[in-house]
Amino acid sequence: MEPKKNWEPKIIAFLCTWCSYAGADLAGVSRFQYPPNIRIVKVPCSGRISPNLILNALNNGADGVLVSGCHPGDCHYISGNYFARRRFALFDNLLEFIGIEPGRVNFSWISASEGEQFAEVVKEVTAKVKKLGPATRLVKKINEAA
Amino acid sequence: MATINEKISEEIRAQARKLLEAKEVEAFLGYCQGSLPMTARPFVARTPEDTDKLVWNSFCVLNLANYLPALLKSLEPPRGPRDPAPEGPLPRAAILATGCWSRNIVIQIQENQVDRDRVVICGIASRGMVAQAKVKELFAGREILKVVEEDHKLLVSGKGFSEEINRWSVIRNNCLTCIHPDPVMFDVRIGEEGGQRKSDNRFADVEEIENKSAAQRRQWFEEEFASCIRCYACRNACPLCYCPTCFVDDAKPQWVGKSVDQVDTSIFHILRAYHCAGRCTDCGSCESVCPMGINMRILTKKLTSDVLNLYGSEAGLALDSPLPLTTFKQEDPQDFIITEQPADKGGE
Amino acid sequence: MNVYKFDEPGLAAWINKLLETVPVYCPAAKGEKCGTHPGWKKMTEVMLPGTGGPAGSSVKTFYFPQPEVLSTCSLKKNDDDGLLLKEPAPAAEKQVVFGVRPCDGRSVELNNLPYAEEKLFQQNRERTVLVGFSCSEPASTCFCQATGGSPYGTEGLDILISRQDDDFLVEILTDRGAEMAGEGLTPAPAAEITALEKLRAEATGSNENCDRLKNKDMAALYDAAFWNPLSESCLNCGVCTFLCPTCYCFDIQDEALHGKTRRIRYWDSCMFPLYTLHTTGHNPRGRKVQRVRNRFMHKLKNFPDRFGPLSCVGCGRCVVECPVNIDIREVVTDLLAVE
Ligand code: SF4
Ligand code: SF4
Ligand code: SF4
Ligand code: SF4
Repeated sequence: MEPKKNWEPKIIAFLCTWCSYAGADLAGVSRFQYPPNIRIVKVPCSGRISPNLILNALNNGADGVLVSGCHPGDCHYISGNYFARRRFALFDNLLEFIGIEPGRVNFSWISASEGEQFAEVVKEVTAKVKKLGPATRLVKKINEAA
Repeated sequence: MATINEKISEEIRAQARKLLEAKEVEAFLGYCQGSLPMTARPFVARTPEDTDKLVWNSFCVLNLANYLPALLKSLEPPRGPRDPAPEGPLPRAAILATGCWSRNIVIQIQENQVDRDRVVICGIASRGMVAQAKVKELFAGREILKVVEEDHKLLVSGKGFSEEINRWSVIRNNCLTCIHPDPVMFDVRIGEEGGQRKSDNRFADVEEIENKSAAQRRQWFEEEFASCIRCYACRNACPLCYCPTCFVDDAKPQWVGKSVDQVDTSIFHILRAYHCAGRCTDCGSCESVCPMGINMRILTKKLTSDVLNLYGSEAGLALDSPLPLTTFKQEDPQDFIITEQPADKGGE
Repeated sequence: MNVYKFDEPGLAAWINKLLETVPVYCPAAKGEKCGTHPGWKKMTEVMLPGTGGPAGSSVKTFYFPQPEVLSTCSLKKNDDDGLLLKEPAPAAEKQVVFGVRPCDGRSVELNNLPYAEEKLFQQNRERTVLVGFSCSEPASTCFCQATGGSPYGTEGLDILISRQDDDFLVEILTDRGAEMAGEGLTPAPAAEITALEKLRAEATGSNENCDRLKNKDMAALYDAAFWNPLSESCLNCGVCTFLCPTCYCFDIQDEALHGKTRRIRYWDSCMFPLYTLHTTGHNPRGRKVQRVRNRFMHKLKNFPDRFGPLSCVGCGRCVVECPVNIDIREVVTDLLAVE
């Protein structure tokens, strides 16, 4: 499907409150520019993110997803992101296995002091998703002609 | 001369009788004869007389561990949700277990669904179970009325035909690539020891799909799951699925739409498989019960293969090795994390 | 109505002509990839069913397609029809289902009892032409006669084709069927029609089981001792109910996505705990044994008490596909044995 003119992707960013969300905050306070395509959902820890949430975001019309947590070793809850890392790795592979384009769902580590990196990651993810075009897989369509 | 499975059946009946007569267990979970060729029925023997019905054959495809948590619960004296646990030891149950089934019991114990002290595991080295669908395909267009099993062949007959086929040629795919046919944990052994089996490349089917292009994988996935009728037999046949409320049945929020819409079905299968990540023993129960012949097992197998490659572990092999997703290593691979990738920012 | 006679090439030519004018569905093999009707595929070339035994999936998918949209609505206030509930245009396009066995045909007739005044079912009925094939050799799991049906039965079908040596007798049973059949066909000789009638008369089933069950005391059947051991191995999956042609339960749900909503109807199964779950959290059929008992009591006692016939056409699908081999034929025997 050809993207509509002036199409801008919607990207849901699940950010852990302790690191990545604080990083996003810092990016804002420091006036680092980043694309306005992301919609932030604050979660307690990257370990809170289940694939259910990611798939639900896509199903409800997100064109891309970013999940971000503290760097390994920095988790506020000691090890939440270590557990999450295993789960994300497997989920990422599973999505690729069934033919979901790499780049729709992204994972990153961003600390509270990395405002600039946060802006960079958002730029990178937005560029990737723009290149992929609007999400069509795992997006339910209703009320279209049968 | 009695076949191997007939001898095993004899031993099962004797063992079950002994355990029930001695009141060591209140229930013995096994199989009895089914009403159609190539079927066996999961069966709970509760009295010594019941044990006469127990059988063992190549058609015991449903993983019995599936029933274990609920069976143990049903043996407990009834009590309300807030009542204290009863004093003293609770009634016990015995269960037959092949390699994969025993691994599922290990997982159930690790996940606190089963109390080790309450089960007597009767271990049987699996000789591989027969895929009913494969036999039916061989005889497509002819109705099979009778199948007699010998050690290495099946005698298949129907109206106007009677043929012999090699048993191994119709073994289930998961059994063909199984390397742990022997139970990993048991209290009583039934039959001979099984040892390890070799498989040249047990993830060949997974690799075949991995080697396709993204577009081909997408097409494969959509076609494979297109005829799913959402009967949930695959979920319900799996011993890993014991959640009181499955994500499929959640209404607030609703994770998966209810109809057979392609997207809903995809999400159901992705999440079902993912919930089994690092826990699946490739027992094949799910695949065996699907009325539409869908190979949903490939998804859990992909996860199993990744867990093995990335973390070097397999589920349920020993009680003291934690399940792969309940543990971690600091040096676990993380090259999929975009901030850990070599800097070439701005997309590919 | 009329009876025609075809040889095999003639039948093939007749089917080919149908293929040009309407969508025709025929049974798919297990595992074969299908479209909107799992188990049925669009027919592209002529293929005739074998001598007996039903297709893997039942015809109910054509009468209860899922999801079936009941109404739609746009949530955007500024749309012309924003926030207005709309019913979709009635489905009217004709479709032909080919290779239907008499059991499945009869199931439509039975489902019509509770759905007699249901609009969508009737719409689908109006537009669907069932072309049946009688069973000269029923499968060993078939028991249509024990439920009051017949391998040569015509109930619910629009056209019934019966093999006769190398030829085929085609009975046109309804106006819908006549419309599809077209004109200029060769009438069958009277002697052959009589032979077919004779075959049918000999093969007609009996309502004895049904009548005996109706005379039993509901409470006695309900309290029978065999329910517990019977249900023990049941997985509470939806295999039996979803494959069954006479299971017609549904659920309704509102979906809202991307600024649009729709109300859909889709299959539900009394084997699922969710089926009876109340919003309070209470579940009147919370235990497995209750659900298993409900499935059989509904088919074999409640339905006959209310509507007359058993709600089972004896196709044997649930017997063949149940993962744990729960066999309704044994349940009938067990119920008949209850005093
Ligand atoms: S997912 Fe399938 S193969 Fe894996 S444990 Fe469950 S039933 Fe067995
Ligand atoms: S058993 Fe088969 S048809 Fe049923 S839900 Fe699973 S994949 Fe779908
Ligand atoms: S009777 Fe068989 S098919 Fe029906 S729900 Fe139980 S296990 Fe599934
Ligand atoms: S209950 Fe079983 S045999 Fe009877 S109509 Fe339904 S699927 Fe067929």
